[in-house]
Amino acid sequence: MIAKIANWFDERVGWKVIWEAIFLRKIPKVNWFYTLGSATLFTAVNQAVTGILLTIYYVPTPDHAYDSVQYITTQIPMGWLIRGLHHWGASAMVVLTVLHMLRVILLGAYKYPREVTWFTGVFLLLVVIGFGFTGYLLPWDQKAYWGSTVGTQIAGAAPVIGDWILRVMRGGPDLSAVTLARFFGVHIWVLPASLILLVAIHMYLIIKIGISAVPKKEELA
Amino acid sequence: MNEKEKKAYLEQYKKDKEKGVPFFPDILFKDAIVSLIIFLGLIAVAYFIGAPLEERANPSDTTYTPKPEWYFLFIFQLLKYFPGELEVVAVVVIPTLAIILLFLLPFLDLSAKRHFWNRPWITVLVVSSVAGVLFLTVQSIRETPPPVEIAQGDPIATLYVENCASCHGGTINVPEGTNLHDVIAQGNHEGMPAWSADITSDDIDALAGFILSPGGNALFNELCRTCHEPSELVASDPIELKAALDEGRAYAPHAEVTIPDWNEVITPQKRTALLNFLIAPDGQRLFATNCAQCHGRSISFAGNRDELRDLISQGGLHLEMPPWRETLDNNQISTLAEYVTNPTATGNGSELFAQYCASCHGERIPTMDDYAAALEIIATGGAHQTMPVWGEVLTSEQLDALVNFTMDAARGAPLELGQGLFAENCAICHGDFGEGGPNPTRPDDVIAPISTSEYLKTRDDHTLFQIIAQGQPNFGMSPFGSAFGGPLDDDQVNTLVVFIRSWEANPPVELPPEVDARSVKLSADEVYTQLCAQCHGTDGLGLIGPSLRDPDFRAANTPQDIFETISRGHEATPMIRWGDLLGEDTIQDLTDFILGLEISDAGVQPQATPGFSSFAEDVMPIFEAKCAPCHGSMGGWDSESYEAVMTTGRNAPTVIPSDIENSILAQKITGTQTAGKIMPPGGKMTNNEIQIVLDWIVAGAPDN
Ligand code: HEM
Ligand code: HEM
Repeated sequence: MIAKIANWFDERVGWKVIWEAIFLRKIPKVNWFYTLGSATLFTAVNQAVTGILLTIYYVPTPDHAYDSVQYITTQIPMGWLIRGLHHWGASAMVVLTVLHMLRVILLGAYKYPREVTWFTGVFLLLVVIGFGFTGYLLPWDQKAYWGSTVGTQIAGAAPVIGDWILRVMRGGPDLSAVTLARFFGVHIWVLPASLILLVAIHMYLIIKIGISAVPKKEELA
Repeated sequence: MNEKEKKAYLEQYKKDKEKGVPFFPDILFKDAIVSLIIFLGLIAVAYFIGAPLEERANPSDTTYTPKPEWYFLFIFQLLKYFPGELEVVAVVVIPTLAIILLFLLPFLDLSAKRHFWNRPWITVLVVSSVAGVLFLTVQSIRETPPPVEIAQGDPIATLYVENCASCHGGTINVPEGTNLHDVIAQGNHEGMPAWSADITSDDIDALAGFILSPGGNALFNELCRTCHEPSELVASDPIELKAALDEGRAYAPHAEVTIPDWNEVITPQKRTALLNFLIAPDGQRLFATNCAQCHGRSISFAGNRDELRDLISQGGLHLEMPPWRETLDNNQISTLAEYVTNPTATGNGSELFAQYCASCHGERIPTMDDYAAALEIIATGGAHQTMPVWGEVLTSEQLDALVNFTMDAARGAPLELGQGLFAENCAICHGDFGEGGPNPTRPDDVIAPISTSEYLKTRDDHTLFQIIAQGQPNFGMSPFGSAFGGPLDDDQVNTLVVFIRSWEANPPVELPPEVDARSVKLSADEVYTQLCAQCHGTDGLGLIGPSLRDPDFRAANTPQDIFETISRGHEATPMIRWGDLLGEDTIQDLTDFILGLEISDAGVQPQATPGFSSFAEDVMPIFEAKCAPCHGSMGGWDSESYEAVMTTGRNAPTVIPSDIENSILAQKITGTQTAGKIMPPGGKMTNNEIQIVLDWIVAGAPDN
């Protein structure tokens, strides 16, 4: 019965080819460090799911941001869990992304033919850092406000265009409602869109090229 | 990698793959285990620690030590090792290099080798980078709050380090034109507190000097500190300071002490640095201490920057000294002449000097050697070097700052002017701080605040200008721009825009106030007093607008005319289409109210109009604010007392009671006199003020 249904769908959707290409592809014998990438992917999904749930109640204005976050944490059933997962997931994602990158570097996995995979990876790293930077302001508590004040100020120290950068980030000379709106917009629209696009390319290349084998100490030539 | 190596790699990879396992279930299982462990870990921290939430953001609480998210701490820490101008290295150079290196990595490492032991350079680089970041992070956690270096025995540097360095680092780049003293004293919106509560004004001056001229501070410590506290010398009279440096040992107060001849010890560059420290090149402060006593709050100046710079630096023949023989008797003049030739000689000279000369000469006595020459100069006055040659006194940084400020002030930008205009014209409806309130023109309406950051962020200067100049007839705001029949010229409207814009940095109103909309219908005389009286006078005898009690007016207008004028307004005057706001009933009531006013021709030559009732309370304050800064006891017309107002002046009397046309004062303030400029030179007084003075003259210029 199940096989029948599966075939019915396969005739129309062609999922078997995809299943074989993605799940039944052969992978060289690899070690546990090769799980770091998928662990990063998992935290990304975790961030997306909890992040979307957070946006339901979160209000990105200086008057209400703090209250809404407090409301999420204390009033909403499982709100503490959602916010806790998002908060700590952010740190985990940063750490895992970096560890994953270190594994790629140390095992030479950025070399031929995986250079493009590597480039998308570097962009992913920047996106993740962007998430952490913009997300930090959102709860609008003391650490958020002052951390972001200093953070944007640091970015504003660049020569020539520093002042311009500062103004673009803050939406004016000071940290204000505009800054919060901008950070929020970047955090939940711009960066997620970039993340999805980059991860898609990253994954496509990984599947297409295959995951590198663990290099041996005695290498040819 | 060359083609051969590439091929070899692909072949080897194919073999490895064949020996491998399928992704599902083998690999996926491993991945799932790791992800699950991470997920459980996250739930555990979420449960046991939770996501922290500190106090609500408080932009004015600067005691808070800012810290970024932990994974950015290493950059924060790095900054500490690259203070001042090197900051760029930590902020821009290193991160950019790191990112570029990452992108280029596949091209930098082209060998076919992949194992880390076989690529020692990359491995060492990566391991040391990771170690470096870890070290910086740990260091940053251990070191917060950042340690601050206090240079021993340097009080101003100590002040700086204790109060400013934690946020501003080692140096501050002050944008040109900043009024540093005010910024320090009043704080700003970014969370900088108003230091005036904790630091004395002298110390703030010293801090400003320190920030703008750190080298000068060092020199001060080296040379002057043995005898002087910084607060004692900063922002003192620049002429005096310069004399102390120039005259070296000959400088009188230095005669008793054994000090080096400053001319020999201090190079010209150092001298500049020192002077910049002592009198910070901060335009508004320089103006306040050096110019304001003669020029008042602002100077009108139509030329360009360079001309102004020349004028200030050359000083000299700028103000005319009055011929004192017209005011003083021979005795007094010779006393003064003696006094300036020998300040210690007579007792009475210093009193005379304080009374007649100090308003322009300040404390500093223009000493002369020749008694006869002094006598002659004082008696005849005239082209007399009153304005110091600032070019010799001020450093070029100070001159620039002063010129910039004066140019701005001449353009009418100073906030004080705007504040005054706002209080006179806008505050009635918008409140003192733009907080709004019930709309006097529409019973059920509330005027929303115009000082919230939302309001200001969403309107640019041009829009604000338009709103003020053209009014918002639909909401009951009449036009204020003179082009639309209002009382303000374009400069004044601009000044108001600048003033309103100044709220944006620190909006006085964060949230719209909860105002109870009044739903009571106003009676005709209430509407009259709140709306019409502004222009037509509380008694209907006219102010800006015509008298409504004038017999000619009544004869020329039928009740229907009056009704229609109210409903339709007069184009290009502040008389807007009230019909858009007030109902027909109200306008009918108003018409009846106006017709009910007793006919009187008093309004043609208004006698006691609302502005003026007492010389001392209404007229004198205007003189004090607008005229006294220049028209003091120094000669010419003196505005400082009733006696003086009525009797002094080169063409005295300046005021002819009840005769506006021939009173020079009236001609001067209304601009009808063709000889010389309109007074005050900084810009016409407000209509209201002019009206009060005129009314006072019309009323017979009484002293009451
Ligand atoms: C959101 C961030 C990222 C996600 C979700 C992600 C995901 C993955 C996954 C699932 C793999 C499969 C192999 C493995 O798990 O190790 C992989 C491989 C790879 N990743 Fe990432 N990655 C991310 C960031 C990065 C970064 C920052 C870099 C490098 C700068 C990078 C470079 C690579 C490369 C070169 C491979 C191929 C490795 C091989 O074939 O052995 N990735 N990535
Ligand atoms: C992809 C979709 C995402 C959405 C829709 C989203 C949404 C949100 C929202 C609404 C908040 C405010 C709630 C709060 O502060 O507790 C928030 C906070 C935050 N987000 Fe995200 N987010 C997403 C992804 C990410 C990712 C990938 C990261 C990290 C790499 C991240 C890092 C943060 C951080 C650090 C905070 C501050 C949490 C706190 O300290 O409470 N977010 N996010």
